[in-house]
Amino acid sequence: MLSVGPLGALGATVLMLAGAAQELSLPSKDVQAKDVQAKDVQGWVDQWAEFIRPSADELSYESIGWRNEFWPAVQLAQELGRPILLWTMNGHPLGCT
Amino acid sequence: MHHIYPEGDWALRQIADDPGHVFFKGYGAQMPAGDWNDPGTKQGIYMIGPGGEYLEGAHAASGSASRLLKRMKAGLKRWEALKKEKGYAASPIPPAAAVAPPEVDAAPMALRVSLRDLPRGKGDRSGRRRTQSDLKGKPWMSFTEWAWNQNWLTIQDPTALVPLGEESQPVPDEVAQRIVREALVDNVRGQNRIWKPEDVKLLTLTMVRTRTSPETVEIEYAGEARMEAGEKRYAPRLAGRAVWNVKASNFESFRLVAVGERAGAARFNQRGEDRGAAPMGVLLELHTKGASK
Repeated sequence: MLSVGPLGALGATVLMLAGAAQELSLPSKDVQAKDVQAKDVQGWVDQWAEFIRPSADELSYESIGWRNEFWPAVQLAQELGRPILLWTMNGHPLGCT
Repeated sequence: MHHIYPEGDWALRQIADDPGHVFFKGYGAQMPAGDWNDPGTKQGIYMIGPGGEYLEGAHAASGSASRLLKRMKAGLKRWEALKKEKGYAASPIPPAAAVAPPEVDAAPMALRVSLRDLPRGKGDRSGRRRTQSDLKGKPWMSFTEWAWNQNWLTIQDPTALVPLGEESQPVPDEVAQRIVREALVDNVRGQNRIWKPEDVKLLTLTMVRTRTSPETVEIEYAGEARMEAGEKRYAPRLAGRAVWNVKASNFESFRLVAVGERAGAARFNQRGEDRGAAPMGVLLELHTKGASK
């Protein structure tokens, strides 16, 4: 991913990623199998989707108006007379960058 | 994907005249030694003036939020001075909301893949584990405090995920293989390669219509998979549901969940001290251009 954007609200850090997990224990393998085969597939799917999906806090970096192509963003920055924040990585966005 | 500073002499020669590369290289030449990792990866966070001026930045910068925030504040201070010196307009920025690469936004169907370590027993609220290695104090390692990550998976033919009739039927093997080999990979704490075809030891993924109307088809998915490569493995159950819009010929919603046990470590996925079996969940949901889900 190449995330790049004219520098807007730099003071707002993009890394507020607290893991606020709700109480939810992992069913045993047998229970998992039974659950998936049960009638309430939607409930099983929704429960786990809710748990796995990043929270709004974890995704707060998306509130920045990122551009996803470098050179067009440079041209826009030059047109607007604004600086650029370039975030570039090829792995975990919180690691190795 | 557009490379602006690939590693290796051959790759660099291929983009020597690329305007983005020239611009970024000129910026890098102004950076303090150590912050511009040359030769080497340019993964990092960089603050650049509109004329390519150095404001701040470093490779491997984002692991520590406090360290990055300090650099950002320093970059803003330099920007304020530069703006006055050169008379930059600093005009308002038009809204945008790109969260995915251009090729993902352009795909006929794109799924946002979310991965998370799951609680490891009764009373456990999170899958987060900080190992002895994590706690050694390297500032760039602080990202291991979290236990989730995201990726994308594009599907060129969404109709492959729509059952043709009322009977339960397998998801076409090509699509099912892509889902398990590319999306059900332990990238929670770092980078990991996709599974090779021979790593897929078990894969069943079926789909069935649960409700059909002239406007929509409601679908459920179910299955299981087991991928293994040496000590690495992931063996999830899968279930999901979706709504297909008949007239628009696209998905109104799509959600597939994989929950199961992972084990082992890859070279760059920071599992060296967390190789034992532990639960991991993966969620695939429809990605809408400019939105996270």
